[in-house]
Amino acid sequence: MKNTIVCRCEEVTLEQLEQTAKQFNCSPRELKLRTRAGMGFCGGRTCRPAVDKVLLNVTDLRPSDNVPLKVQPPVRPISLSSLGGAIDDK
Amino acid sequence: MLDVIIIGAGPAGLSAAIECRKNDLNTLVVDEFPKLGGRLLGQLHQEPTGEWWNGIEEAKKLVDEAQRLNTDIRTGISVHHVAKVDDHFVVHTNDGKFEATNVLIATGAAETAVPVPGWTLPGVMSIGAAQVMTNVHRVKVGERGVIVGVNVLSAAIAHELKLGGVDIHSMVLPSKNVISADQAEPYAVMERLSRIAHLAPSAFIRFGSKFAKSPIVQKLAVKLYPKNGITMFDIPIHLRKAIVSINGTEQVESVTIAKVTPEGDIIPNSEEVVNVDFVCIAGGLYPLAELAAVMGCEFKYVEELGGHVPVHSEAMETAVDGLFVAGNITGIESAKVARSQGTVAGLSIAKRMTNDVSLDRQLDRAMQNVKTTRDNATIQFHPHIYRGRERVKAAYNRITETKE
Amino acid sequence: MTNKRITHHPILGSLDKQSTVSFTFDGKEYTGLENDTIASALMANGVRTLRKHEFSGNPRGIYCNIGHCFECRVTVNGKENIRACLTPIVHDMVVESGQVQPSPLDPTNEVLPKTYEDYEKMGGNQ
Repeated sequence: MKNTIVCRCEEVTLEQLEQTAKQFNCSPRELKLRTRAGMGFCGGRTCRPAVDKVLLNVTDLRPSDNVPLKVQPPVRPISLSSLGGAIDDK
Repeated sequence: MLDVIIIGAGPAGLSAAIECRKNDLNTLVVDEFPKLGGRLLGQLHQEPTGEWWNGIEEAKKLVDEAQRLNTDIRTGISVHHVAKVDDHFVVHTNDGKFEATNVLIATGAAETAVPVPGWTLPGVMSIGAAQVMTNVHRVKVGERGVIVGVNVLSAAIAHELKLGGVDIHSMVLPSKNVISADQAEPYAVMERLSRIAHLAPSAFIRFGSKFAKSPIVQKLAVKLYPKNGITMFDIPIHLRKAIVSINGTEQVESVTIAKVTPEGDIIPNSEEVVNVDFVCIAGGLYPLAELAAVMGCEFKYVEELGGHVPVHSEAMETAVDGLFVAGNITGIESAKVARSQGTVAGLSIAKRMTNDVSLDRQLDRAMQNVKTTRDNATIQFHPHIYRGRERVKAAYNRITETKE
Repeated sequence: MTNKRITHHPILGSLDKQSTVSFTFDGKEYTGLENDTIASALMANGVRTLRKHEFSGNPRGIYCNIGHCFECRVTVNGKENIRACLTPIVHDMVVESGQVQPSPLDPTNEVLPKTYEDYEKMGGNQ
């Protein structure tokens, strides 16, 4: 089960996540920053529940009411011009 | 300034739009998918009465009604941010900014991924992706495939693929790791299937009722699970086999499947390689609440509802004034429940805008209708849905009490 | 050519006659049906690989098919990062697959400058 990619966007594996979480006793944010899991193109929509589970397992915690990884806008990737207020041509 | 922007044109968003328009609100519905109806579009299953639930037809009814009421509905619009500015909302999209007094987030659910070695190969897709491709686009995702994950949703869609002329080699469990967790444990899967069997359509009833009797029967059934699986809709379902890897260089060529113990541990040297050209991953659904999160909504983790849900009232209000939620963002349930929740949200928004007291009775009836629909649902994703709903309601009451 | 279209369906019935739309993907011409997305039209033609991962070059196709995962992003008429699963095909649309991108921080990368000095030596900023 070595090369199970968890985060498809950044190609981060289960092993990398578990190792990093154990080694640094990571908070969700730290795990994300160290591995880049959930920081790729999709914004973590695909791997978020999986990354949460890896972390909960390592820290042996129960899920809390707070969303583990802070959700920040934009929740869809957008071009810089669009962020500046321009309308995408379709 | 619009009265309301509805994000998501699925069963919840469309039925909310209908109520808003009936009350003459200036309404805009946006969705990023080119067709209207959301996840409802792909649905196709037989009810216990024998009647077919055809999502395309159900979606069309809602769209027709919304259009008859001259609702402004736009597709191809992705919302990337919603911000509250003074007493209104600014909705940021790829098509510019929109301002509205109220916002309804009806973004539905996303699929929970179950990572498998090789799952990034072309030909591997989520079970929902295969459903949309088959029923909405009318394209076969492959000739012969394997489905990873045995649950209500995957069983229903396996049957739909079969109806579309796609051969399903088998349904197997994911192999056990910290992510797949109890989805990879035969005992747990059997127990879940048995608990919901009485609610599920036709062939599923027959599958579940064999084992529903007692935990002892279920345990025995897992222990003595037939080597060739138990077939449902002619599809072999294996609770004692799990996927080890998906193989291929440019795309899916085969899968490696191994036998597992009743606890889900791989039995050494039991691997077999099966040639397939596609694989569907079915890890279930979770509420897609990212826009509620950026709005600063409070959340509650409720396992019965599928994960983190924005705290809301029975009238579908959040604690953010003017922000409403409806459908699967509030918890994973059937499209019928989502549709009835949309009606509640639409009436709540109308009530906030018009102060029309005659809406109170309509709203009460609509809220009652959500419960009736839930009671009669033929597909239920979790047996303790009411317990989950009560926890969210209690959380909402706590927030509003401390506010006052 | 592979045709994966489901023309007859036991419950949904026969597919209505729809007009066809032709477009190109990586220079090759394909035909889809009106209302197809880029992803569905290509899949109907047996094409499943839509891009290569920017760094590893691993092939990718659709994963979620409803706009959540962004795995199917392609270049459409010169505009990058368009989701094939959400974009309807239009006559003469030019679609290109995503390719491996240069990564300046990769120590094995010998083509790109590592420092600003290198960059100037290589003729940058002139």
